[in-house]
Amino acid sequence: MAELIWLVPLLPLLGVVINTLLGLNDLRRSRANAHHDHGHDHGHGHADAHHGHGDNPTSKRSGLIASLMVGLGFVLTLVTLVELLGMPAPTTLGENNRWFDVTYWNWMAFGDLKIPFGFLIDQLSVTMMLLVTGVGTLIHLYAIGYMSHDERPTRFFVYLNLFIVAMLMLVMGNNFVMLFLGWEGVGLCSFLLIGFWFEQRDPPWASVKAFVTNRVGDFGLLMAMFAIYALARKPDGTFLHSLIFREVLDQGTVFSLQQYSTFFMGTQYTAAGAIAFMLLLGVTGKSAQIPLFVWLPDAMAGPTPVSALIHAATMVTAGVYLMIRTHPIFELAPSVQSTVTFIGVATALVAASIALGQYDIKKVLAFSTVSQLGFMVAAVGMGAYVAAMFHLLTHGIFKALLFLGSGSVIHGFGNEQDMRKMGGLRKKMPTTFWTYIVGTMGLIGFPLISGFWSKDEIIGHAFDHDHRTVGILLIVGAVLTSFYMGRQISMVFFGEQRDQHIHAHESSRWMTAPLIGLALLTLASGLINVPGWHPLTTWLEPIVEEEAAKFHLNIAAIVTILGLLAFAAGFYLYNWAAKHKRIKPNQRDLLHHWGGDFYAILEEKWGFDALYNAVLVKPYKALASFFGKFFDVKIIDGIVNGTAELVGLSGRGLRTFQSGYVRSYALMFVIGVVIVLGFFALR
Amino acid sequence: MTNTNDLGFTILSLVVFLPAVGAIILAFMRGQRGAARIFALGWSTLVFAVSLPILFNFKHDAAGLQFYEYFSWIPDWGVRYELGLDGISLWLVLLTTFITPLAIWSAWNVEDKTNNFLMLILLQETGMLGVFLAQDLFLFYIFWEFTLIPMYFLIGIWGGKRRIYATVKFFLYTFAASVFMLIGIIALGLLNYKYLAQQGLPTDTAFQVQTLMANINQFGLSDTELKLLFLSFFVAFAVKVPLWPVHTWLPDAHVEAPTAGSVILAAVLLKMGGYGMIRFCVQLFPQVAQEWARPIALLAVIGIIYGAVLSYAQSDIKKLVAYSSVSHMGFIVLGIFALNEVGLQGAVLQMINHGLSTGALFLLIGMVYERTHTRELADYGGLWKVVPVFVYFLLFATMASVGLPGLNGFVGEFLIMLGAFDSPIGWTFTAFAAVGVILAAVYLLKMFQGIASGPFSERRTPHLSDLTRREVAILLPLCILMLVIGLYSPYFTRPMETTIKALEAFVANAAPLIAGQ
Repeated sequence: MAELIWLVPLLPLLGVVINTLLGLNDLRRSRANAHHDHGHDHGHGHADAHHGHGDNPTSKRSGLIASLMVGLGFVLTLVTLVELLGMPAPTTLGENNRWFDVTYWNWMAFGDLKIPFGFLIDQLSVTMMLLVTGVGTLIHLYAIGYMSHDERPTRFFVYLNLFIVAMLMLVMGNNFVMLFLGWEGVGLCSFLLIGFWFEQRDPPWASVKAFVTNRVGDFGLLMAMFAIYALARKPDGTFLHSLIFREVLDQGTVFSLQQYSTFFMGTQYTAAGAIAFMLLLGVTGKSAQIPLFVWLPDAMAGPTPVSALIHAATMVTAGVYLMIRTHPIFELAPSVQSTVTFIGVATALVAASIALGQYDIKKVLAFSTVSQLGFMVAAVGMGAYVAAMFHLLTHGIFKALLFLGSGSVIHGFGNEQDMRKMGGLRKKMPTTFWTYIVGTMGLIGFPLISGFWSKDEIIGHAFDHDHRTVGILLIVGAVLTSFYMGRQISMVFFGEQRDQHIHAHESSRWMTAPLIGLALLTLASGLINVPGWHPLTTWLEPIVEEEAAKFHLNIAAIVTILGLLAFAAGFYLYNWAAKHKRIKPNQRDLLHHWGGDFYAILEEKWGFDALYNAVLVKPYKALASFFGKFFDVKIIDGIVNGTAELVGLSGRGLRTFQSGYVRSYALMFVIGVVIVLGFFALR
Repeated sequence: MTNTNDLGFTILSLVVFLPAVGAIILAFMRGQRGAARIFALGWSTLVFAVSLPILFNFKHDAAGLQFYEYFSWIPDWGVRYELGLDGISLWLVLLTTFITPLAIWSAWNVEDKTNNFLMLILLQETGMLGVFLAQDLFLFYIFWEFTLIPMYFLIGIWGGKRRIYATVKFFLYTFAASVFMLIGIIALGLLNYKYLAQQGLPTDTAFQVQTLMANINQFGLSDTELKLLFLSFFVAFAVKVPLWPVHTWLPDAHVEAPTAGSVILAAVLLKMGGYGMIRFCVQLFPQVAQEWARPIALLAVIGIIYGAVLSYAQSDIKKLVAYSSVSHMGFIVLGIFALNEVGLQGAVLQMINHGLSTGALFLLIGMVYERTHTRELADYGGLWKVVPVFVYFLLFATMASVGLPGLNGFVGEFLIMLGAFDSPIGWTFTAFAAVGVILAAVYLLKMFQGIASGPFSERRTPHLSDLTRREVAILLPLCILMLVIGLYSPYFTRPMETTIKALEAFVANAAPLIAGQ
């Protein structure tokens, strides 16, 4: 497979090309038709496929091509996995034979700079590739159904395939710049997909917000790359001048980053600390952590398969992947590691609390995702890399399931997303309901199902390694998670349907089949690193050099019991509320009745958006307007025009274009020559 | 004429003056508008074809000038006609011959005095090529000033409503700055003449750049004199680039210029400033360049941020892109004054990149303006629905300009910031430049979404039709190059490597200024 690994990203790229050509062909045909119809039916301009509410056949055509490409990629990744397993297993700690590094050409190269276009395939990247292509295939198939009524499914699948390509670049790249290629590439696809329904009011600006917020994080990544390039030295003391993972992260080299230190805002940082901090900034952007998480909830404006694929399962986990990949740098900077943990825990709690205050079915899941990413980031900060990776995988599966389930609900409920209008949908959408229950069980850590194991591994690690506070706070986060899921299950699936105008129906097989597939995967995914066997730990051990986590029955029992109680509390509270007609569209939540202003804070997402608006967006606009309307025109250009007038190139010269300049030309020429000649003749 | 290349003919002179010959032929085609267009397009394509052997015969490992050709022009003054090219000018020459046919093709709908328009563009090409190839300061200055004249008429005759104001401002502003350079050139020539005469050497090469580089330390100039001479050149180039705060001629000129003029202005004319900084400021005064690297970098960084903020403030699309040039050109100056290999490579590459992506943006804006006759961003919206092909080209050019990895802009900006970080300019300025990368996304996406997304208004943007085959054919070569540079830059950096490495060493080994002399 080593020779053919390029096929994995190339196949979806081929899908992009094929579907682009098909889309162009459709466009040409529809224009020819429009031209043909012109005389008869003015105003019906574009072809029927663009407007119909019926099935759009292009969805199946383009979707199958796109799914096939990603599916083949998954098969090839499986082959690669088998091949890596066939390489000799490590015998001593820190030894790793299971990898290969291929370089195809030099992306940038001159002097001693060399940035290859190449892939590093090892345990970590293959694991991520499996998630991306595996879950990706199921979501592509689901999208065939979901986009079947849309005007532009071909375009959608082009973007989706392009996203897979970029995501694969991100996890397969063998150097920082390749990772950055994928990192910004997924940002572009996210931008295109969030703004997919461009006619609507919100999506275009949500897409800009996502791209710009991520760019703030990318700033960190850029600075980290520059610093590594400029500062890293080889063990013999010469400059490394490289950004290739295997060279930079080599033990002898990475230590050199401790030699430099700089003061910034009163604190001393080693280069390693500053670099880790800058990487962390990148992580907070892509993985939606405080302070940059604000883009993710708005990103829900995109079609739901996008939310599942990009904003739950794959792209947003890129930050966690980055930190695990570069963990030797973080380990040189314990203070930054503490910051990582702090940010993770804070995000887990803040986002979980905001999820309580949301009425939009997808927004609840969005904040849930932010919160669960906080768990992973906290785990990485504590050095529990395997636990973070484990949770990344289980979460990738069950959160994709939940998002696709919510998509099925929205699709079958007249494109309505407000949970206050829903209710009782379990009877009308049985498959969606049961699979949603499975996803919920995975999320809240129902005994023996995915999240139970992975979340416990994180919390257990906290208690084992003297991060007691972190452990307790994460338990609080888990309890909140269970509560809002109880609330959501009750509001969506139980009681009576509150908005009777909407005809609810179960979704098509294209959509339910992937739901069932993901539900089965959710049930099984705990096995990935089940205590006692822990295959994931064994697999990743050569990369993260970490021992298998111990299973803590007492902690697991406490977390599970508290979680189930919270779930029941949320579930029965809202069942009761529904029964007593306390949930109505456009009416505030029951908890607002009791919690008052505190609940309003949750509804307002702790005011992050308002804060950024007040301290960043508005001042920037004011500044731009000041510079644009006054400073540049009146001051800078004013000085120029004033000078011109002063030296006699008067306003007349500027306005009438025949006269003026010639005379000035000659005058200045003569003056200049005289000065120079005089100066050099006299010296 | 003495010719040193293996081709057997003076290819550089041919490339420089071929466009002017085309302009003369056009003068005899009055009244035949259609034929004149086809002739101009064909002729400029021929010029591009003739310039290609330069690339294929360029010796990668040879430092110094290649294709050297010269004759003694005004021996009494020490002036020679000298053309030559090295790794730094190679791509700029090719950029010029590549962009000109596309600009001509984009002007297919110019109905008013078509022949004159085409003649001026061809004359402009001769001027710009001369600037990039002249190796004699006197000759350089003649070409440098000559480039003003065609552009002056292009804006003044075919421009927008405020064309007279814009073109006179363009002319006077850049001309006034160039006068300082003229002073510097005369001073250097005189000093060299005197020195050569003293040494008993032939004085006919007094204005030759190579001789000056070798002799300038023998003139016994004080630090202050060196700095003044440096400044005299720097001011002219800074205005041309344009560097903050001498940038205000650019938005006016860009907005009023016809599309083809804007494209040439952005793609090539501004690069003359960056090229001049490397060729003259750095090569002739390496000590001053080193000492002033940080202050100049500061101006560059201010320009990056300031241009970005101003760009965001604009409601006129063309002005928005014009200010984005101020921001992007700031990167180029930053890279030059990093004075190391990575930064200089990035700077030259970014000159090409900016030419391609901003050229494409101006072309696209011109194409849509031809249909709607409005440049107000507020009038646009929802074009994705009506003219998707246009929007995807716009997306491509926007992303190249935003600096998306995989496209050309990223490679240039990345190398520039890498070089600046690793130079005495240091990480603080680099960090501010990187903030400019964030802000680029803000203003460019504001523009893109404002045009592509939202509700479409037939009333405000009437008569929209998607790109024609001709327009697609103009844009495609630009986009392909953006992608190729973005993914495979060594092809473009390799020919520059030897030259730039030599330049880096030359600067590093230059005798430092002696304080207080």
